[in-house]
Amino acid sequence: MTDDIVLEETIHQSTRLRIMTMLVSIPESDRLAYGFIQETLSLTGGNLTTHLRKLADAGYLVITKEFQDDKPRTWVQATPAGRRAFATYLTNLEKALHWPPR
Amino acid sequence: MQEADGNTAAPTPAESWQDVHATMERARSSMYTAGTTAILLLWGVIASLGYLSQYLIQTLAPEFAARYPWLPLPLWGGVVMMGMLGSAIIGHRAGSKNATGDAARSAGVRVFLFWLAVVIAAFAIPAAAGMWTADAAATIPRVSMGIVALGYILFGIMHRPVIAVVGAGIAVAFYVPSYLAGDMAPVVTAIAFLIVVALSAAWIRKSGVL
Repeated sequence: MTDDIVLEETIHQSTRLRIMTMLVSIPESDRLAYGFIQETLSLTGGNLTTHLRKLADAGYLVITKEFQDDKPRTWVQATPAGRRAFATYLTNLEKALHWPPR
Repeated sequence: MQEADGNTAAPTPAESWQDVHATMERARSSMYTAGTTAILLLWGVIASLGYLSQYLIQTLAPEFAARYPWLPLPLWGGVVMMGMLGSAIIGHRAGSKNATGDAARSAGVRVFLFWLAVVIAAFAIPAAAGMWTADAAATIPRVSMGIVALGYILFGIMHRPVIAVVGAGIAVAFYVPSYLAGDMAPVVTAIAFLIVVALSAAWIRKSGVL
């Protein structure tokens, strides 16, 4: 790793990186269910909640709770700022992969 | 190396890059396999009903079966339509629990089109091969079930290996009785189908592979 390339700390953690990857893989207006993220990434509820909170605090995602078929559901959606941060992260990650330049 | 999380060492760029790709792949296939367990059970019941009906007609009304040798076509056409409709409803409900909007919809449409193509092929390929004749009609299920089993195996290879194993199980449940059980083949196949899908569903639920 080089000092010239900074990988955004909030995203550069395995679980949060996976969460953000899932969220930015879908169209901007769409949301993913909390349970779907939990199952896909094989996380415990507590672990997922902790990481979602960190990403939400950074302004990268929003969490909404609503009722669907009379059952409470929690939805997670990447914010435009989260998508931009992820895009920047990927750009920097690619640079880091090819560092030092030949 | 950066510290990404209080007490956890940050992954290397190569690890992160691999993580991104693996997660995208995993998320996509999770969307495609939404509701698979319920759909699998539904098809197990539907195929068993089809084979049991066929067996009962041949056993209880042999003259009727002889007079209308093409009867399996509307019978299977009807049960397959029920299965497609049921699968679409289950898949739609499961998908809408996972995601909102285009993400769930496009995955659901792709999966539906994949299975629709398999079902159409199961009927159309024997027809195109000139098998819809009185002499060759009895061998049509051997082609059709091969196509359906291949559908499961290809879908499994693309998304979840467990589904490919289910496809192999379906092939065994059909072909072994069809060659060894004689007139009892439909009823043996019906029971074998139920066993295969019940075991598969239990395995999927227990292992959490879907």
